[in-house]
Amino acid sequence: MSLAVEAVSLTKQFGQITALHGITFSIKPGEIFGLIGPNGAGKTTTIRMVCTIIKPTSGSIRIFGYDSDRQAEKARQILTYLPEESGAYPNLTGWEYLNFMAKLQAQPGTDIKAVVAEAAEICGLGDRLKDKAKTYSKGMKRRLLVARALMTRPKLAVLDEPASGLDVMHAYHIRETVKRYAREHGVTILLSSHNMLEVEYLCDRVALINKGQLVMEGTPKELKTKYNSENLEEVFAKVVGYA
Amino acid sequence: MLKGFTSIVVKELKELIRDPKILIGMIVLPLIMFPVLGMVLGYAAETAQSEALKSNLLVVDNDNSPWSSTFVSYLSSSMNVIIVNNTTPQQVVDQGLLAQHDSTMFLVIPQGFGENLTQHAAGAYDITGTVNMYAAFNGGGGIFSGFGGSSVTVLVEGFNRIVAPDLVMSSQSSIIKGQIQEGIDASLLSSLLLSQSIVLPVAVLMMLIFAMQIAATSVAMEKEEKTLETLLTVPVDRFAILMGKVSSTIIVAGVAAVTVLIGYNFMLDSMMTGLAGNLTAGLDLVALGLVPSTFGYVLLGLSLFFTLLSALALAVVMSAFSENVRGAQALVGYLYPLIFIPSMALIYLDINSLPIALRAVFYAIPYSQPIIASQAVITGDYLTVIFGIVYVALFTVAIMYVASRLFATEKILTAKLAIGKRGNKKQQNE
Repeated sequence: MSLAVEAVSLTKQFGQITALHGITFSIKPGEIFGLIGPNGAGKTTTIRMVCTIIKPTSGSIRIFGYDSDRQAEKARQILTYLPEESGAYPNLTGWEYLNFMAKLQAQPGTDIKAVVAEAAEICGLGDRLKDKAKTYSKGMKRRLLVARALMTRPKLAVLDEPASGLDVMHAYHIRETVKRYAREHGVTILLSSHNMLEVEYLCDRVALINKGQLVMEGTPKELKTKYNSENLEEVFAKVVGYA
Repeated sequence: MLKGFTSIVVKELKELIRDPKILIGMIVLPLIMFPVLGMVLGYAAETAQSEALKSNLLVVDNDNSPWSSTFVSYLSSSMNVIIVNNTTPQQVVDQGLLAQHDSTMFLVIPQGFGENLTQHAAGAYDITGTVNMYAAFNGGGGIFSGFGGSSVTVLVEGFNRIVAPDLVMSSQSSIIKGQIQEGIDASLLSSLLLSQSIVLPVAVLMMLIFAMQIAATSVAMEKEEKTLETLLTVPVDRFAILMGKVSSTIIVAGVAAVTVLIGYNFMLDSMMTGLAGNLTAGLDLVALGLVPSTFGYVLLGLSLFFTLLSALALAVVMSAFSENVRGAQALVGYLYPLIFIPSMALIYLDINSLPIALRAVFYAIPYSQPIIASQAVITGDYLTVIFGIVYVALFTVAIMYVASRLFATEKILTAKLAIGKRGNKKQQNE
């Protein structure tokens, strides 16, 4: 069985700046994989490359066997992406947004109504879906977007900071949804987060990127044992040199 | 059809139509603009009319009665009057009497004027005296020249106020290219030409600016909200995303253009109503170079459409280099001089009278084309218009190619113009 994501020796140059220095990692199908690291470490660059938005300067990424550069169209058919702090279209209602995105994301012949109904269930926004997105709170908007990323049951969902800046209630809802959906439908999740509690709770395996390099990788349990730490936050601090 | 194109167009239209700023800018503002411009033009006409009162008036007194002398005396109190006797209007024109006396209009007091006034004074109130004003209308040089003719109304009203109500009536005629056009009010012709040469360029200018703002805001908003990033990962052709944006903006701009044209036509129609009664007399406005022919209107529409399309494509490309809405609007703002300068300059200048280098500059700016076209279709110079349309179409294809290349690569997210202190390191680092 092919790997969900296979990134080999990824480098990315922006002019004079090298954002990534030869990163290699892999994600198994059905796995929730966490990408952690300080701000500016290269997480978003890595994620954008996995999502086929930007190309690696060297190295390669395969998504369920498809090359992210030469077979980007194929890869886009099986992945969805939730960018960090992204919004919805303010003048569209929640329903209209989900309907619009379902038409673009879904495979030809898919029952769009069923997809949107599933999204409505995932986000749990009920009648508020009839309101324009500009009237939503940050938490409601994020729930809508997470539902959008999961509604077509993609083979790979890439979620950049899915619960960042949300109150406990909305963050809890999102974490539970992601975990349940991944387990029930076998969706592979690549997730980036600054919340170590969230990462420890959700992820099967974690990779830490620092200064454009992958500095550790393993299950939360393995990492805690290796660094003799009580939680992932401590591991993180030790690895990046804060502790 | 490109996959996702229809969905994107529908989404864009919903987003645009529901934005109150768009509704005000594209629909309400043009509807307000015309009455305001009408007021401005009205004021300009009034000024021209009062200026006309200060100029020389040639009076052709063919009656030579005490009443006609009284009337001429009254006229002399307000204007500098030069009197000639026993001359027909055509003779005045043919003998070049207007130029001789440095005047642009003449008033004819016909034979029988005094007799009619005497009868009126004796109680036959249905009998009135009539004077005829002939004003030279010089479309090429002085748009305002025709307004002088309407000063006769003021003069006659003043005379009637002093002597008796409804004693004297007035009629107005025009002298166009040396030909007398009986019953045609020269001031109406002036208004018509004024609207052609000022209102249309201003309307085009407004439409281009609003359309560019919409397109730039639309792309920048997607970048700012990161919805563009999401769109770039869905399995649709990126050209569909670009075309969806451009098409929906064209539709909204098209609606705005229709609003503008409705307002413009309303203005023209109200002027035409004044002329309608005389059109059957054989006055050919197209031949006189006052309005475009139907073919001219079609060419003007095409010129407008392609210019709009190129402006939109350029706005999309430029906004791709900004991070947010404010940045995009500022970037697009750099293009405004290219729209303003030709629009404003060509209101006052005849492009054919400019030095060749300057003419080349104006022709090279794509946004000059509808303004050049609006002048050229009136003079029947269709070749210039067609050349302009082809040029703008080629320019548009080039810009659309750049835009599609930009959308096809990661540059749509990473490209950024470093202007002033804005560096380009922030994005690269994340």
